[in-house]
Amino acid sequence: MKILVCIKQVPDMESKFKIAGDATWYDSGDLAWRMNEYDEYAVEQAVQLKSQVGDADLTVLCIGPQRVQETMKKALAMGCDRGVHIADDEPFKKDPFEIASIIAEFATDKKFDMIFTGMQSQDRGSAQVGILVAELLNIPSISTVVDFAFADGKVSAKRELEGGIKALVSCATPALVTCQLGMNTPRYPTLPNIMKAKRKELLSFPAADLLKVEGKQETAKVYFPEKKGGGLVLEGAAGDLADQLIQILKEKTAVLA
Amino acid sequence: MELTREIYWNVGHGSTTLVPMYILTLTAVVVLLRVFVVRIKIYKQGKPVERFDQRSVRIIAMLKAVLLQSKVIRVKGPGLAHGLFFWSFFLLFLGTCLIVVQADFTDLFFGIKFLKGNFYLLFSVVLDLAGLVAIAMLGGLLARRYIVRPEGLESKPDDVIMHGLLFAILISGFVIEGARMAVTEMGTSLAFWSPVGLVFAKVLAGYGEETLRSLHSTTWWFHLLLVMAFIVAIPFTKFKHIFTTSFNSLFADLGPTGKLVSLDLEDEEVESFGASKITDLTWKDIFDTDACTQCKRCQDRCPAHNTDKPLSPMKLINQLGEVAFNNPEESLLEACEKDAIWSCTTCRACQDICPAAIEHVNKIVDMRRNLVLMEGEFPGEEVMSAMENTEVNGNPLGIGYASRGEWAEGLGVKTLAEDPEVDILYFVGCYASFDQRNIKIATAFIKLCQAAGIKVGILGKEEKCCGEPMRKMGNEYLYQTLAAENIELIKGYGVKQIVTSCPHCFNTLDKDYRDLDFDIPVLNYTVYLQQLLQNGQLKLKSEELSCTYHDSCYLGRHNNIYDAPRQLIEAAGGKIVEMDKIRSEAFCCSAGGGRIMAEESIGSRINIKRVEMAVETGAPTLLSNCPFCLTMFEDGVKGADVEGKLIARDISEILLERL
Repeated sequence: MKILVCIKQVPDMESKFKIAGDATWYDSGDLAWRMNEYDEYAVEQAVQLKSQVGDADLTVLCIGPQRVQETMKKALAMGCDRGVHIADDEPFKKDPFEIASIIAEFATDKKFDMIFTGMQSQDRGSAQVGILVAELLNIPSISTVVDFAFADGKVSAKRELEGGIKALVSCATPALVTCQLGMNTPRYPTLPNIMKAKRKELLSFPAADLLKVEGKQETAKVYFPEKKGGGLVLEGAAGDLADQLIQILKEKTAVLA
Repeated sequence: MELTREIYWNVGHGSTTLVPMYILTLTAVVVLLRVFVVRIKIYKQGKPVERFDQRSVRIIAMLKAVLLQSKVIRVKGPGLAHGLFFWSFFLLFLGTCLIVVQADFTDLFFGIKFLKGNFYLLFSVVLDLAGLVAIAMLGGLLARRYIVRPEGLESKPDDVIMHGLLFAILISGFVIEGARMAVTEMGTSLAFWSPVGLVFAKVLAGYGEETLRSLHSTTWWFHLLLVMAFIVAIPFTKFKHIFTTSFNSLFADLGPTGKLVSLDLEDEEVESFGASKITDLTWKDIFDTDACTQCKRCQDRCPAHNTDKPLSPMKLINQLGEVAFNNPEESLLEACEKDAIWSCTTCRACQDICPAAIEHVNKIVDMRRNLVLMEGEFPGEEVMSAMENTEVNGNPLGIGYASRGEWAEGLGVKTLAEDPEVDILYFVGCYASFDQRNIKIATAFIKLCQAAGIKVGILGKEEKCCGEPMRKMGNEYLYQTLAAENIELIKGYGVKQIVTSCPHCFNTLDKDYRDLDFDIPVLNYTVYLQQLLQNGQLKLKSEELSCTYHDSCYLGRHNNIYDAPRQLIEAAGGKIVEMDKIRSEAFCCSAGGGRIMAEESIGSRINIKRVEMAVETGAPTLLSNCPFCLTMFEDGVKGADVEGKLIARDISEILLERL
C-alpha cells in the first residue's frame, strides 16, 4: 500500500503576530514553527494505517522554505518512511489551488492508495487544499474526519457535523481524507525513531518544477480586526465589586433605569 | 586473689571442646560466604558503575555510618535503640574476640594472658552492662514492632526469627555467666564487676555445684549453637543488612548530591535507553535492594506516599529486589507500576534519610527515561504538550519565545546581545519570565542587584528552559538539546558569573551542565544576596515580620543551602516560626521531578498539606525561595481555604520592601 500524508509548517499560535510590510501575510520574524495541528492527526492516522496493513510505504510531503525540513523530521520520527520537500521560500504567495496543484502534480503518477491531509491549516485556514488535491486526482475525498477505519480496500470514516451530529461515510480506495482535531492521539516520537529519522530519505524539489497552473484568487489584505471596546475585569472585595458594577450599569446601560 | 577468670571454665580447653567448636564455626562461616557468593552473582546482573574509587573517603564514610551509627540515630527513638543495641552487641562481639585471641592464640602459643587485673575488671563490667543494654533495647524494639505497631512497619517471619535468636543468645549468655559465678565468684569482690551476672548467680546459687556445672556446660553448647544459627541466618534473613547495609555505605554515591548520570544519546550501539529490565540497572542499584531493612523512614517522609499516591520508595526498592532475585525477566515498569513511577517529585527525602545509603531517585528517573524515550509515554497528555511546547518555544508553558524578556522592559536591564559587559548573568528561568506571579520575583531580584550596584544582564528571548523538569520526567533527549543550546549561548558571551532565582535552574546549571563542558560559576540568588549583604553592598532596613520558611527541596536537600535564606530573612527583620518539617526533613511542595507540568490527579494534594503545616505555625506569611514552590503555595492557600490567614511570598519580595 502506498500512503501519502501532506503536512504544513505553521507558526506556533502563541506567537505574537505582526502584519508583514505588504499587508498580504504575517511577518515571519520572531515566530516559533511547528507542525500544523490538524496535520499531526493526519500523520498519526497514516502511521497507524501503515502498521495496520503491514506492507506499506508512507511518504510525507511538505511545501515551504528550508526550515520546514525540521517539521518533516518530526513526521519521519513519528513513523513516515520518506520525506518529499517541495522547496518554496514564499509558499504563502500561492493560493490553495496552486498548492493543491503542486501536490497533485507530484502525486499523479505515484499511485497512492490513501492520502491524508489536515482539515485545514492553522494559519490560512482555507480548508481547500485536501479537497482540491482529491478533485485534481479524480479520487473521492472525505472531509472533517474524526474516526477512520480501513478494511478490504474500503475506507469507513466518521465525519463531524455541526450540532454534535456525526455521519458515517465510506468509499473505495484510492481516496483522500482531511483530518479533524481529536481524530486520534498523535504519538510522541521515541528516541530511537528520532535518531532513525535523521537517516531517512528526504528529497527536495523546487516548487516551480511542479507548478503548472495559475492562481485563482488573491489576498487583498491581512489585518487585525479593529478594537471595539473590550472586556473589563473588576478586582477587589465583593462589596466594592458590586458598587462598581452598579455604577457601570447605571452609566453605560439602561437596565437599571 | 587474681583478678581474672578461667576461660573455658567447666567446658574444658581440650580437643573435645575446641574441635567441635571450630568445626561448627567454620561450617557456619562457609555457609554464610557461599550464600553471599550466590547473591553477588545476582548483583552482577547489573551494569557496571564506578564505586571503588576514592577508597579512603569511602572507608571513612562506611566506618562513620557503621561504627558511629551516624545515619541510624538521626531518628530518635527506634534509631537510638538500634544504635545502642548495635554498640552493645558490637562490644560483646569484641569481647568474644578477645577471649579467642587470648585462649587460642597468645596464651596457647606464648603463655600471654591479658584478661587480668584492672583490664579484666573493665572487660567484665563493660560486657556485662553491654548485655543488659542490648536486652533492654531489643525489648524496646520488640515492643515497638509487635505492641506499638507504628503505621507502615511490616513484620515478617524474619523479624520473629531475628528477635528470638538475639534474645536467646543474650539470655543464655547471662545464664552461663550466672552458673559460673554461682560456683566460682560468690562472696568475692570480683562478682561486683559483673552486676547482671551476679543477679543470675544469686538466683541459681541454691542449686548444688553438680547441677550448676551441668547447667553451665549444657547452656554453653546451646549458646554456641545459637551463635552458629545466627551466623547461618545472616544471609537468609534481614540479618544480612549487617553486611549489605554496611557495604552500601562503602559504595555510596559520593556526589555531587543527586546528580543524575548523563546518557550518551549519540551512541549508536545502544538500543535501549533508561531502565525496563533488571539488567538495565547498575549492580549498585541491585545491591541497594539487598541493603534495605524496611525501616520505612523513606515511606514516612515521601510526599507522594503521604498523600495517598501509589508510591512508597521502600516498596519500590523491594519490588526491584523481588525482580532481581526471583523474577529477572519481569518488566520493572510492571513490577513497580507506572503510577508509582510518575508520582515521585524527586524531593530526595527518601534518599536523604535512608540509613542504608540506598539511591531511590535515580532508579525512578531511569525507569521514566525508558517510558519517555522508548515508549513515548507520559503521566498525562498535559505533560506531553508541555514537552512539545518546550520543543517549540523553549518553555513548558507554551508561551511564544519572543516575549521571554518582556518582563524586564523598563527595568533598565539589557540582554547580553545588547551589552555583554555585565557583573552577573541572571538566568531567569521559565516561571520568572512568563508567570505573572513570578515575574515579581525576577523584578525584585533585579532591583535588589541594582540597589547593590551590580550590573545584571539577561539572555531575553535567547534563553531557553534549563531542561530540569523534562530531565526529571525522563526526557533526557529534550534536556540535552536545551542544555546544549543554553551552554553554547552563554559561553559565547564570555559570562563570568551566573545567578539564578530558581533552585531547579541552579541545580541544573551548577551540576547537570557540568557533564556538558560547562564550567561557569553559578550561584543561587539567596546565597548571592547574602554575600552582598555581608560585604555591605546590599543594605536592608530591618522591619519586623512574623513568618515561616519553607526549604525547597532543590536548595535544601539537593544543595544543602539552609542558612543563607534564613540569614537573609533575619537581616530583613523576619522572625521565623519554624514548621515541624524543616531543613533536611522539609516536606515537598509537589512540583519537583517535572511534576510542575503534571496534573496531580491521584490522592490528596501535596501543596495543600504543606500549606496546612505552615498555617499550624500561626505565622501569617509563608516565605519560600523557588518559583515552583511559590506557584504551588499560591494554589495551596486557595485549596486549603486559608486565604486571609496565610500569604505565600518569595524571600526577594520582603527584601525589596526593606531596601
